[in-house]
Amino acid sequence: MSGCPGSRTIDFSEKTNQEGSETGKRPSQLRQWPIQLHLVSPMAPYFQGKDILLAADCTAFAFGEFHKDYLKGKSIAIACPKLDSDQEVYVEKIKSLIDDAKINTLSVIIMQVPCCFGLAQIAKDGAEKASRKIPVKQIVVGLEGNILSEEWI
Amino acid sequence: MLKVLNREIKEIINTYPEVGRILEEYGIGCVPCTVGSCLLKDVVGIHNLGPQKEATLMYRIEKAIYPDRKISEPVVDMTTQSAPKKITYSPPVKKLVDEHVLIKRLLALIPSIAEYTESSLRVDKNLILSCVDFIRTYADKYHHMKEEDILFKYVDEKAEIIQVMYKDHDTGRGYVRQAVEGAEKNNKTQVKENLLAYRDLLTQHIKKEDEILYPWIDRQLSTTQVGEMFRKCNAADASVGDELPKKYEKFIIELEEKFLQEVTK
Ligand SMILES: [Fe+2]
Ligand SMILES: [Fe+2]
Repeated sequence: MSGCPGSRTIDFSEKTNQEGSETGKRPSQLRQWPIQLHLVSPMAPYFQGKDILLAADCTAFAFGEFHKDYLKGKSIAIACPKLDSDQEVYVEKIKSLIDDAKINTLSVIIMQVPCCFGLAQIAKDGAEKASRKIPVKQIVVGLEGNILSEEWI
Repeated sequence: MLKVLNREIKEIINTYPEVGRILEEYGIGCVPCTVGSCLLKDVVGIHNLGPQKEATLMYRIEKAIYPDRKISEPVVDMTTQSAPKKITYSPPVKKLVDEHVLIKRLLALIPSIAEYTESSLRVDKNLILSCVDFIRTYADKYHHMKEEDILFKYVDEKAEIIQVMYKDHDTGRGYVRQAVEGAEKNNKTQVKENLLAYRDLLTQHIKKEDEILYPWIDRQLSTTQVGEMFRKCNAADASVGDELPKKYEKFIIELEEKFLQEVTK
């Protein structure tokens, strides 16, 4: 295997349909719109004083319990550190979320592929530029939808 | 077994000393604990041993208490076993762990200070009172108050482990009062004994907090609570000002210089 692990083709269709139940409704935990980091304004009321989830685009598809375990009770912004342009704007927005929206915490959820750690870096850069300090957490999702790590950084 | 789980650990160890030995093997130091009123189930739960270790430990305890019973050895699925985790603290708790470092630097100097007191003609009152000022202001007012007023409020304050922590803080304050009295009365033995007792107490206390209590509290905190506690601790720090921790760090550095010289002299 060679090439970028972020775009390498892997098929685990044999493994995905393991245990877990199909019964019961899972309501959406999304409480806002828009959600894309370029589209959201740090001034939006749904960010003020909140716990924020900064999610790499792919995580919501990879991790089955995304709504219940991570989105619930939080406001969200999503981005892709590999493909999105103008990422300096992202750093400024994170800074503004911390300083102006006075968010409570920032949790960054990313995929395990190396390029995805760029989003954690954006979060760290924004937090460093901010004059307020807040706790920042990093959650890494494996390609097969398992949580590999969750720690405060 | 259910009944035993709800009994106080000291009582169990007194009746079945073998249980104390088994707990020690697992690094659970209940035998020397001064209170020992934690329930067995909490003692095991608080140490976060992981399913494999916990099941084996409970099996061995049950065996020790009921040697005649037929108990089957636990079968734990090794594939679901998680690797032992290194402790990671949330940012506000990490700050408290970092504050322990400066307190431990004073504790490390106490034997030299005690020896120096012993060999001096008179008690060096200024020296003792400056150490007491560090303990009362930095360790107690700055650090212990954040534990008591903020951190402990996030868990059940009636929990035995929290009660033990309160009791340690109080016992420590007693030793300090005694040391001050010794310094006032020029009683070398009283100064020395109380400083050394304070050192033993706080060494154990900090170890319990770093390794058991703080991780236990951290496991119960939600992300929202971590953010809130971080703000409260920062506000508490801001209320005493930036200068306070700097001043006491400088004090410790100077004390280290003085006593390292004493040793090499
Ligand atoms: Fe304490
Ligand atoms: Fe402490």
